Order: sequence, then C-alpha cells, then structure tokens
Amino acid sequence: MATGAATLAMALGLSACGGDSGSDGDGKTIKVVAADYGDKASNASKLYWKDVADEFEKANDGYQVDVQVINWNDIDKQVKNMIQAGDMPDLLQTGGYADKVADDLLYKADDVLSPKTKDLLIPSFAEAGEVDGTQYGIPWVSSSRVLFYNKDILKKAGVDEPPTTWDELADAAKKIKSKKAADTPYALPLGPEETQGETMMWELGNGGGYTDDSGKYTIDSPQNVETFQWLSKNLVKPGLTYPNPASTDRKTAFADFAAGKVGMLNGHPSLIQMAKDGKVDYGVVPIPGKEGPLESTLGVADWMMAFKDGGAEQEGVKKFLDFTYQKKMLAFDEMYNLMPVTTDALKEMQTNGKHKDLEPLFEVLPDAKFYPLGDPAWDVISAEIKKTGGKAATDDPKSVLGDLQKKAETAAADVK
Amino acid sequence: MSLKAPPSPAESGRGRGGRAPRPRSRRSGIARLGPLPWIAPVILLILVVVIWPIFELVRTSFLNISIAGIVRGSAGTDKYKKLFEESDFGSVLVWTVIWTVVVVSVTMLLSLALAQLFNQRFPGRRITRWALIAPWAASVLMTAIGFKWMLNRTAGVLNTLMLDLGIIDNSRDWLGSSSTAWPWMMAVAVFVSLPFTTYTLLAGLQTIPSDVYEAARLDGSGPWQTYRHVTLPMLRPAFLVGVVINLINVFNSFPIIWAMTQGGPGYDTSTTMVFMYKLKETDIGESAAMSVVNFAMVVVLVLIFLKVSRWNEED
Repeated sequence: MATGAATLAMALGLSACGGDSGSDGDGKTIKVVAADYGDKASNASKLYWKDVADEFEKANDGYQVDVQVINWNDIDKQVKNMIQAGDMPDLLQTGGYADKVADDLLYKADDVLSPKTKDLLIPSFAEAGEVDGTQYGIPWVSSSRVLFYNKDILKKAGVDEPPTTWDELADAAKKIKSKKAADTPYALPLGPEETQGETMMWELGNGGGYTDDSGKYTIDSPQNVETFQWLSKNLVKPGLTYPNPASTDRKTAFADFAAGKVGMLNGHPSLIQMAKDGKVDYGVVPIPGKEGPLESTLGVADWMMAFKDGGAEQEGVKKFLDFTYQKKMLAFDEMYNLMPVTTDALKEMQTNGKHKDLEPLFEVLPDAKFYPLGDPAWDVISAEIKKTGGKAATDDPKSVLGDLQKKAETAAADVK
Repeated sequence: MSLKAPPSPAESGRGRGGRAPRPRSRRSGIARLGPLPWIAPVILLILVVVIWPIFELVRTSFLNISIAGIVRGSAGTDKYKKLFEESDFGSVLVWTVIWTVVVVSVTMLLSLALAQLFNQRFPGRRITRWALIAPWAASVLMTAIGFKWMLNRTAGVLNTLMLDLGIIDNSRDWLGSSSTAWPWMMAVAVFVSLPFTTYTLLAGLQTIPSDVYEAARLDGSGPWQTYRHVTLPMLRPAFLVGVVINLINVFNSFPIIWAMTQGGPGYDTSTTMVFMYKLKETDIGESAAMSVVNFAMVVVLVLIFLKVSRWNEED
C-alpha cells in the first residue's frame, strides 16, 4: 500500500513536470537536471546552478535555463520516470550514461561541444565517456581513491608507517585492536551505497577487477574470489572491521572516521573536509595491494549528457555546455573540493596553492582505472553488485560472485 | 450536470403507460438503468484507481523495459522465469510466510489480552486507552526510523541501556545481520499493529451482552470456562476481521523493513514486498512480475481464510 501511494505521488509529480515543459516549445528553454553534491543548505548544488543559469541568461539573450537539482538517492529513479513519461531533460548530470546510449537517447559529444571545449577535457576521462569508440558521456567531476589513516590512532597502536600491503594492513589493524586504539581498526563499507567501489579497490590489489582486457566480465575470477577469502579470513572474522560489512554504508564509515573512531579506510576527496571538520589528524597513502601499493587506483567520474528529445534546440545546448565548461568548471570543483576533468581547471588547482590537500590524489589520478562505464549493461550490473556483492565478505565468495557473474553475462547479452 | 432531478421511474412509467401501446419497452432510458447513474461515479473511480493499475501491472510484467526506462517490446514470460530462477527467491518466500504468521499471531494474542484489560473498569482507563492509540497515530515510517536509531550500534539508546544493565557485554549491530534484525523488525511490526487490533477486539467485547455472563455465572462456570465458551465464540466476528486485515497489512508491510534494514544484507531480510521493490532497481518487468505474484498470493490468502472461517461457522 505504501508503494502504491509512493507511485501515485511520483505520477503526480511527473504530470506537474509535464505541464512545465509546455512552455519550451520555442526551443529556447534549456532544462537541466543535476545531482546535489552538497551536504547542507549553504553548499547545495542548486546555488551553483542558479549562478550558472543567471550568468548564461545574461550573456545569451532569449535563452532560459530551468534547473532541477535532485539528491543522489532519487535522481536515477526520477530520471527514469521522466524518460518513461517522454519528458526528458535537455541536459542531465549524474553518475552514469551508457544505459541511455543503449536506448539511443543521447547526442554524441561532438554534436553538443565545440572543438575548443572538447580539447579541454582530460583525455583519459574523455575516453571513459566512449561507447564503442564514440564519445557520448561528457565527464563532469572526478575523484581518485586513496587510503586515509588516523595518525593519532596509528601512533597509539605503535604502527610507525602506514601500510603498503594487505598483510601490513591486517597487522596494523590487529595492533589497533589489541591496544584498543579505535572502535573499528579498518572500515570496510560493503553496504549498498558503494559496494562496487570498495570491491574494486580491493580486487585491483590482487590483479583482479570487473572485466578483462577484452571487456568480458570476470566478476568471479579466481583473483576476485581470493580477494574476498582474504578479507573474510583476515579482517571480518578476527573482528578488525565492522561486524556486518555487507550492511554498513560508506557514509557510516566516513562519519565514523571523522569522529575519530576508525583507524584506516579507503576514501575520496570529500573525506578530507569531513576529517578536517572533525579535527582528525589524518594522512593519505596509495591504497595497499596484496604485494604493494596499487599502481592504478580506482578513478570515478560523474557525467554530463545531452538528450536528443529534450525540447531545446541543439545550438542552445551547445552554447550552454561551452559556457559552463569554459567558464564555470573551476567554481564547481572548488566548491566541493572535487577533482577537475578539464586541463585548465586541473592546472589552476595544482598551481594556485589552495588545494595542497588534494596533492596525493592528483598524483594517482592520471593512471586511475574506471568501472566498465562504456558498457551499456554496466548500470544494471553495478546495481546488482550494490544489492548483494557485499555478502561475498561474509558468505561463500564463490557463490555470491558466481551469481553476480551469471547476472552480468545475462545483462551483457540483453543489450547486444 | 443538470440540476433538474431525473423523473422517478414510477412516475414516468405510469405517464407513458397511459398513452403508448408498448409501455414495457418504452420504459427504457434512465429508468431502466436503475441506480446506475448514481453509482456510476464510484464505478468509474474503481475502474480508474483499482482495475486500470492492475491491468497495467500485469501488462508491465510481460514487457522488456530497459534500465533507462524505454520499452523494448514484449518479453513473453521471460520475466517470470527470471524471477523464479533468482537464487534468493525461495528463501524470500519462506521468510515472508514466517514474517506474516509470527507477526499476526503474536499481535492477535497480545491484543486479546490487552482488549480484555481495557474492558475492565480501573482508574485511569480513559488515559491508558488514549495512550494505546499513540503507536497507531504516529507514522509507521517514523516509528521504524526511531527504532532503527535506538538500535544503532554506536549511538543507539537501546544498545547503551542493555550494555549498562549487563544484558549484553558489548554493543551489538542488531540490524546488521538477519538473525537479530528479523526479531527486532517483527517486534516493531507487532507494536504498530497492536492498537488497531486491540480496538477491534475491544469493540467486539463490548457487544457481548452482560446477561450472557450472568447466565454463565448462575450455571456455575469458572472464569476460564466462561472465557473459552462464552467470550471467545462471541468475539469471533471481531477476531476474524482483525486477522484478515492484519494478514493483508503485515504481508504487504513495506516501511518497517525498508526503514530498518532495506531488506539487507543482500536479500536476507526481504519479504516479497521488499524484494519486489529492490528488483525495480535492475528490472522493472521482473519487479512487476513479483507484484503480480504478490497480488495473487494476497487474493489466495484471503479466499482460503474466508473459506476456512465459513466452514467453521457451518460446523
């Protein structure tokens, strides 16, 4: 009954949107849907977008920009509803794009970006936006993952150097536990929020990952199974991490670290600010692998994409993207301390001295590896991993990963 | 939309009957529709709000819909096949049955006792009766979220309390694994079901005339005998209503589980309702198939129950 009510509410919300879009029949209204990166009213993304829209409208007479900012939990569902109702936005900024390419909903990047803007994009990110050699996804922001550690806790436990290998990490965790230096020696958040991220960071350390070089899924490869067997034996069973990693979300882990209750964890740039706010004296090093630190860490990018049937004219969309990417990119990256995807913004952030804390993350960025973002089936597979992947650390990894592998193969066959 | 009332059937029939040679067949029009024009709005509403969604639901379960939301054509019975082949489907079904049976039976038993209590005269009865409404008046989602935080591993007040009282020796992650999450969620489900059930039974108790009890007393029946042979049989209609409504409510219950564990880890604490919702993230068609199965199960459940209870009555 509750879901019925929710569906009804969504349907009503949709019809309201439908009413709005009637006004952009002239193609001069650009409808932008974007995710909210803020965690409080003062840094909500709608402030950024309002600013962009106002300046763009002032500089380009006759155009109107409608921005709808939606929080991360709801954006995918709401966009899905918009697409089903045939009320697509002109521009969408969210976490993935390839599923929309499979349904042929998007403009090619070349169609909506001027050559000048396209040249600004950092090549590795632009490539990650390609499906079968054609770029559709336009990178928006990026981040790379590193190991964060609490200096005080490690010192109290008698660990002099932050770990570089799995064994050193387990050893450090053991010391933290025996000295009671922290509630949770290593935070392993394999809950639905970011299972696919934490999983890949560990699997990369054992030469594993989601796909092989040819792009075939290898979710239950021996290396990946071994990774989870190691995690289960060395961290979960001895109680060196959360008792139920599969139901612990990343936000819990981050909050615990910021509260000084966690010794070590894998994190991304926004943890820097959280740690500072919590007055935690933290350090960062590359993520430990089985034999040594990861050569290429996990890189994550969020995406901008342009819909063919959004209603606005293509020229206007192009103008808006050029304006945003050339003039307003840095402002967004600095607002959230996230990493840029354009060369000029990267150069500025590396040299203007305001982002010393991001230095170690910039260093590992160029070699970063991505999820199989260009595979139209990835979004389904990622959602499946989020739902059940975490259980690989507590149940039998072979059967959990094997089940996911089967689902991945089916999903990959479905989109072909 | 006219303000003029339609002619009453009797009047128009008589009027025409006087002139026309075939009075019966001329009595058609509004008159022959009987009460239809008056109940038509309701029927329309039911068609739009109940029948049409069911039709759409069944239709969706036979469609192939991409994750982006585009219909890619018919899927035949593929989605049902995929659903039944899910490795967690079996255990989700079993847990749904356990969840429903445990919550409904515990609720009914506790409510019987509570209703009996509230039927007695004691000082402060009015206030305690009001207090019982509280869990009912509060939103179920709110209650569930409240319990979730009270059970939180690091900051939860229940954890701290049990720790201080020495019931447990280190703080537990109650909702993190299914073995402890299920009992807690069942407790919350019972907690929110009690008020309605108790009031239903209380209303039933108050319909039992006092002279029946008087007669029982005169015949020398003891309290337990009176309860079993007088109260319980006469409470039957109220009891049945309570059971049927609770069965449907608990079976369909979503907010408690969703707020407390989101059905996780994996699908370990999912009922079919939560399972359906989680399938939606990856395959809308399969999720619709689960909904159809859910719908069928509720209908069957109610039919079986009504049949059984009527059979008892005739006995």
